[in-house]
Amino acid sequence: MNMFASCMITALILLTLPIIMTSTKLYKDKLYPYYVKTATSYAFMISMIPAMMFIYSGQEMVISNWHWMTIQTMKLSMSFKLDYFSMIFVPVALFVTWSIMEFSMWYMHSDPYINRFFKYLLMFLITMMILVTANNMFQLFIGWEGVGIMSFLLIGWWYGRSDANTAALQAILYNRIGDVGFIMAMAWFLLHLNAWDLQQIFMSANDNLNLPLFGLLLAATGKSAQFGLHPWLPSAMEGPTPVSALLHSSTMVVAGVFLLIRFHPLMEQNPTIQTLTLCLGAVTTLFTAICALTQNDIKKIVAFSTSSQLGLMIVTIGINQPYLAFLHICTHAFFKAMLFMCSGSIIHSLNDEQDIRKMGGLFKALPFTTTSLIIGSLALTGMPFLTGFYSKDLIIETANTSNTNAWALLITLVATSMTAAYSTRILFFALLGQPRFTPIISINENNPYLINSIKRLLLGSVFAGYVISHSITPTTIPQMTMPHHLKMAALTVTILGFILALELNLTMQGLKFNHSSHYFKFSNLLGYYPTIMHRLAPKTSLSMSQKSASMLLDHIWLESVLPKSIAFFQMKSSTLVSNQKGLIKLYFFSFVITMALSLSILNYHV
Amino acid sequence: MSMVYINIFLAFILSLMGMLIYRSHLMSSLLCLEGMMLSLFVMMSVTILNNHLTLASMMPIVLLVFAACEAALGLSLLVMVSNTYGTDYVQNLNLLQC
Repeated sequence: MNMFASCMITALILLTLPIIMTSTKLYKDKLYPYYVKTATSYAFMISMIPAMMFIYSGQEMVISNWHWMTIQTMKLSMSFKLDYFSMIFVPVALFVTWSIMEFSMWYMHSDPYINRFFKYLLMFLITMMILVTANNMFQLFIGWEGVGIMSFLLIGWWYGRSDANTAALQAILYNRIGDVGFIMAMAWFLLHLNAWDLQQIFMSANDNLNLPLFGLLLAATGKSAQFGLHPWLPSAMEGPTPVSALLHSSTMVVAGVFLLIRFHPLMEQNPTIQTLTLCLGAVTTLFTAICALTQNDIKKIVAFSTSSQLGLMIVTIGINQPYLAFLHICTHAFFKAMLFMCSGSIIHSLNDEQDIRKMGGLFKALPFTTTSLIIGSLALTGMPFLTGFYSKDLIIETANTSNTNAWALLITLVATSMTAAYSTRILFFALLGQPRFTPIISINENNPYLINSIKRLLLGSVFAGYVISHSITPTTIPQMTMPHHLKMAALTVTILGFILALELNLTMQGLKFNHSSHYFKFSNLLGYYPTIMHRLAPKTSLSMSQKSASMLLDHIWLESVLPKSIAFFQMKSSTLVSNQKGLIKLYFFSFVITMALSLSILNYHV
Repeated sequence: MSMVYINIFLAFILSLMGMLIYRSHLMSSLLCLEGMMLSLFVMMSVTILNNHLTLASMMPIVLLVFAACEAALGLSLLVMVSNTYGTDYVQNLNLLQC
């Protein structure tokens, strides 16, 4: 009982120690990455104690220690909510981060600023922990913004590259649009319920909650790269591979889903928001799976795969199964991080080659990486009794047997088969066949850092699903009985995707390259979404503002209306009515002659 | 008509002739225009003073004001022509020929 709070706080403080050590000379040491990795591993082991206590006893806890401020009638204090979600997520996240830190000790080995890289990774981890264990929305927002900032710093790690800077800025902008929703929800809760604490919100919320829930959905769309705010996730692959593995596959992008899971008591009562969530998730998962089919960069394919799985998690929330979505978050972290790490191993071995059209024949050259890539892909597609099966298959079954939107369900199934298709594409192009790269001797996977980290995640990918799903307290009851065709639906479409992709790849090998069809271009250019949104909207607003300010006010009202119009009119009318020859002297002389003649005639008239 | 009137009338006719018959400079035409204005002013003042047309006493002043405006206008046109061509020769004003 006593160990719960103290172990958790110890684990969290242990993570901050290397940050505090930044100002000492430990930071300049060559062994600083090792200290960071060891601190993370110790924090993981210590946090397993409360996790196992929670699994044994089902006891939850809220630690509320420091009274921060009181704004009129609302009291803000630093409080940690250690319930089912955070208790299980914290050890999983720490485990994955430990492996990624060990991996990046190999990957970023030649980087001169490797100490700073580890500091950034650790700061990211700390803000993620703050986000996950937050009990009030203010603390959650601190964690939320923190992970956004660290994502920016880490994506733009190689800041000499303009693409990396653009991608980092893109991540910040899209996240910012989502933050507007979060702040709207916070404001609504403040005004109507006078609370930012989750317990008080859940107790006293009984009127129409459409607006704050919509704000939270918008926040999740921004942070978890759902359709509409999704382009930042593939662009974020400009960062180093450990960053992609940590942030953009397992930890940061699930923050949006985690937010919706935290608010599940509110979402249970609101069918409108559930339908919105379901449709949004279904569109996301299908669209990003389509885009993943024709990409050529291995990291981008895995990024789109992440986006598709995030859409699947949102679909799960949409059918009112937050616990299944959470299970999918935990299991997805293992194999997705491992997929990224295997990609990193391939990229480094081929001397920074990321295009799958220039890989091949690595099956025998990199056996360990091949093994883990295949196992990770199988876990991703939901092969029975690997990790992904325990969450993904349950999700598909529940969606099949629930009273849901049939169209959303159908496109989720199509996206599931596409998952198998693009996984086969990665395996086919990267591993099988004859090598398509220049002969190099840097193909090496003998480093123990690399091997141990991938090995740990490999064990997790195989066993973690079983271990987690059989250890947790019972939550919502999964559907036990269903017709055969529904039960086998997920497996059937996955196998269909595998076979189709393999046959297509094998058939097309020797054929002549024909020019891209419209469907290919749609998929390859990400559905034209970045092209349209990144160019059209700024261009229209900038040109509209230029026209209204400069053309309308300056040119028209101040210049053209009176001065230039008068001058123009005069010129035109004078050329119109005059048929002069300009013989002024003649005209004047004729005036004199006329006057003299008339006067003299009048003189004689008398 | 007394001698004064004839004198001033002659001055007016002379300036008119000078304005209508000139060789090359536009300036001479403008100067004769001023001469016309001057003779008109004198004739008007003498007539009003001799015939005690008191209420019309302000008319010479008004004439002077308008003559000044007109002189300014004429001079500005001269300056425009001179800016374009460098001289004020009348034969330069031939742009509106058909």
